[in-house]
Amino acid sequence: MARRPLEGIRVTDFTWAWAGPYCTLQMAHMGAEVTRIESEKRPCVTRLIPPFADNEPGPNRAGYFNQYSQGKKSLQLDLARPEATEIVKKLIAKSDIVVQNFSTGAIDRMGFGYDTLKQLKPDIIMISICGYGQTGPERKYMGYGPASVPLAGISSLTGYPGVGPAEIGISYGDPNAGIFGSFAAMAALAYRHRTGKGIHVDLALWEALLVLMPEGIMDYVMNQTQPERDGNRDRWMAPHGCFKCKGDAEKWVTIVCGSDAEWLALCQAIGQPELAADKRFTDAAARKANEDALEELITAWTSERDRWEVTEVLQKAGVAAYPSQSNKDLATNPHLEERGYLVQKEHPEFGKRIHAGIPWQMSGSPCEVQAAAPQRGQHTDYVLQEILGYSGDEVQKLRDGQVLT
Amino acid sequence: MAEQLLSGINVVECGNMVSAAYAGKLLADFGAEVVKVEAPSGDISRQRGPFPGDTPHAEKSGLFLYLNANKQGVTLDLRESKGQAVLQSLCAQADILLHNYSPREMPGVGLDYEKLSQINPGLIMTSISYFGQTGPHSDYHGYDLTASNAGGWAFISPGASDYPDLPPLKAFGHQTDFQGGVHAGVATLGAYYHKCLTGEGQHLDVSVQECIAAILEMNFMHYTYSGLETSRLGRRSIYPWCMLDCKDGKLFVVCVEEDQWQRFVELMGNPEWATLEIFEDRVVRGQNYDALVPFLQEFAAEWTVAELYKAGQERRICMAPVNTMADLLNSEHLKAREFFTEISHQVAGSLQYPGAPFKVEDVGYSVRRPAPRLGEHNNEVYARIGLSQAEIDELKQGGII
Repeated sequence: MARRPLEGIRVTDFTWAWAGPYCTLQMAHMGAEVTRIESEKRPCVTRLIPPFADNEPGPNRAGYFNQYSQGKKSLQLDLARPEATEIVKKLIAKSDIVVQNFSTGAIDRMGFGYDTLKQLKPDIIMISICGYGQTGPERKYMGYGPASVPLAGISSLTGYPGVGPAEIGISYGDPNAGIFGSFAAMAALAYRHRTGKGIHVDLALWEALLVLMPEGIMDYVMNQTQPERDGNRDRWMAPHGCFKCKGDAEKWVTIVCGSDAEWLALCQAIGQPELAADKRFTDAAARKANEDALEELITAWTSERDRWEVTEVLQKAGVAAYPSQSNKDLATNPHLEERGYLVQKEHPEFGKRIHAGIPWQMSGSPCEVQAAAPQRGQHTDYVLQEILGYSGDEVQKLRDGQVLT
Repeated sequence: MAEQLLSGINVVECGNMVSAAYAGKLLADFGAEVVKVEAPSGDISRQRGPFPGDTPHAEKSGLFLYLNANKQGVTLDLRESKGQAVLQSLCAQADILLHNYSPREMPGVGLDYEKLSQINPGLIMTSISYFGQTGPHSDYHGYDLTASNAGGWAFISPGASDYPDLPPLKAFGHQTDFQGGVHAGVATLGAYYHKCLTGEGQHLDVSVQECIAAILEMNFMHYTYSGLETSRLGRRSIYPWCMLDCKDGKLFVVCVEEDQWQRFVELMGNPEWATLEIFEDRVVRGQNYDALVPFLQEFAAEWTVAELYKAGQERRICMAPVNTMADLLNSEHLKAREFFTEISHQVAGSLQYPGAPFKVEDVGYSVRRPAPRLGEHNNEVYARIGLSQAEIDELKQGGII
C-alpha cells in the first residue's frame, strides 16, 4: 500500500472550537496520528451545539465536532489530576507536533508551555494559535473567529453598496488561522528534517487574515484611501455578479467576464449578438461605466432560466458561471461526488453522514479520511496501552481513580 | 544568507493572479528559492491594482508587488515549444512546481506531469484549479467570485441579512484564491516531507471549490445531520452577535458564553431590562434579538469605539472595532508586533506591506528582495540552468523570453 505523506507523525492536539481543530484536521488528512485531549468537565464547545445527528443532542452526535475531527483519536483525561498530566507528558515525549489554541498564557499555566515541551522532546514543533498573538499590548484580548473579521478590516471593505460594513457568513478567522497553523507545522517538519531542530509558532487570527488583504492595505499605503464597498462587483471586470434565476428566491447564478473575448462569447451564448456592438459595453471600462444597465440586461436573461441551464450554456461558450451553492446543493453535487470529496464513514452512534472531505488529491501518497470523528474517550485505552505501554491493570486503576473522565 | 524554515528548497511557479502566486509567496517568505515564470506580457495581476493614483503601471500594482516579493522573476512563452523546453530545464532542478493553469489550459503550456516526472522523478507538481483535475466540471471556467459561490460560502454571506432581494455576497478581495493558495501550500509541504523520506515526487490536484466547501463552519452538516438548509438570511442563533454604532464608528460584539454576557450586563450598569425573561440565555436572546439590539445600541452610542473596546476587553467580553485600513496601519498592537514590513522596490519605491502570517524565532518570515520587475532575472536564472548567453539571446530574439 502506498505510504501516506505524514505516516508516522504523531500530534498531541490540545485544540478546541474551530481554529485549532481545522489545523490538526489537515494533519489527520495526510495520515498523521492526531490525538485530541478531551475531558468530560470541559467538553469542546463544538460537541455541544447543533446540528446533531437526527436532531438528537449528544456529545458524539454534533456535526460541527464531527466534521473537523474526522480521522482523529480521542484521549479522555481530567487534567486537574497529576496522573493525567503525567500521561500527557508521556504522549508529548512521543509526539512530533503539539497544537493548542487556548487564550494567551493558559497553556503555560497548565504546565505545557514551550519550555516544558522542549524538555520532554527537544525537537518538538509547537503551534500556538490565538486571537491577537503571544506578544503585544492586546495579547490578552479575546479574539473569536467572527470578531476577527471586522478587526482585520474585512467588514469595512465587504458589503452591499449603501448598506454598511458586513459580516461574511462564517467565522473566517478560525479556519484561516487553522490552515496557516498547518502550513507552519509542515514547514517546521521540513526544517526539522534538515536541521534536527524544532520551533514554536506564534499565530494570531488577526495577522493571518491581514496577509489576505493586500488589495485594501496596499491601496491605503499608496493612496491613503480604501476601496468603496461594492457588493459582488469588481474594480476591473464586468459583468461580475450574482444573478437571479428561475425558481424560488434562493436560486442564483454567478457570472464573470474577465476579458472582452469572454464578453463577446457571452453575447453570442445568450442569443444577443447585437450587444457585442453596443457602445455601452465594448470594453471593460465601458461595461464598468454602464454596469447597472449591463446587470439589468443579464438578469432579464437569467431570471427566465434554470441556474444549471445558465451555467451549462455559458460554460460551453467559455464564460465563468456557476449556481450559488447551498449546503444541500454541495452535499448532492455530482461533480464533488464523482471526485470523491463527499466522505461518509460509519459512526457507531448514528451510522453514516456526509462530510466535506479533503480538498486535494495526491498521486503518489494518497490521502484519505481514516475514520469518522472519535467518540469522546474512544481511544483512551489505545493511547495508554498501544502508544504509552500501560498494562490493562494500570489502565483499570486509572479508570477506577476517576482519572480518565 | 540567514537560515529559514524552507531554505534550500527550489520552486518554480507559473500561472496568473493569486492562488499559485500566494502558495509561491508563502514558500518564498519562509526561505525557499522561488522562480516566478511569467508570460512575456506579464502576470495578469500586474494589470490589477491598487496602483498609486489609480494609474495602471506594470511595475506598480500593489497586488503584484505584494504577492511576488522574495521571488526571482523570468519571462517565458509557454505556448511555444521552445518555451516549454526551457520550463522542463527549470523543473529538472526543482523540488516543486506550482501553477494555477486550468486542466483545460495545461496541455497548451507544457504542463504534463508524466513528461516532467520523466525528467525529474522527484518533482512535486501542484496544480491549483477552481474545480480540480477530474469530474464533470473540471473544464469549467472560474474566478474568485465563481468559487465563492461554487464552494457554498457566498450563499451564507453576509449572514443574518435583512435584504432578501440582495444576492449572496462575496467577501472582499480574492479570499477563495488565497485559500486555494494556502491549502495548496499545506499539501505541497506534506508531499515535500514525503519526498524527504522517500525521494518520490508526485502530482497534487488542489480544488479551490473544495477548499471553500471545507470551511463553512457547521453549515454543511446542518443539511447532512439535520436536513436544514442555511442561507444568508435569518438571524444569529445566539446573541449578542452584532455590530453597534458608537459615537465615532462601529464596534462588533459577540458573547458566546453566559459569563461573558453577565460581564457585559455589568459593564452596562446592570440595567433592569437585562433581567427580562426574553433575554435570559443566549438562545432566547437570539430569538428576541430585535428587542435586545436597541438596548445595546442605546448603551453603545454613549461611547467611542476605542473606549468601549478597551472597557469590554478588560472585562473579557469579545469586542472588536470595525477597522478601516487606516486603523490597521495605526494599530499600536500591530506596531508592537512589527507586523507591517517596509519593502523598497526600484520602480514602485518604498512601501509598507502586510508581513508575517505567523511568528517564529530566528528562522521565520523575512524579506530578502522586492517583487521582480518583468524579466528581471532572465539572465541570472537561465544561466544557472545552463543556457549560454547566445542561447538566451536567441530566445529573446524569438520572443520566447
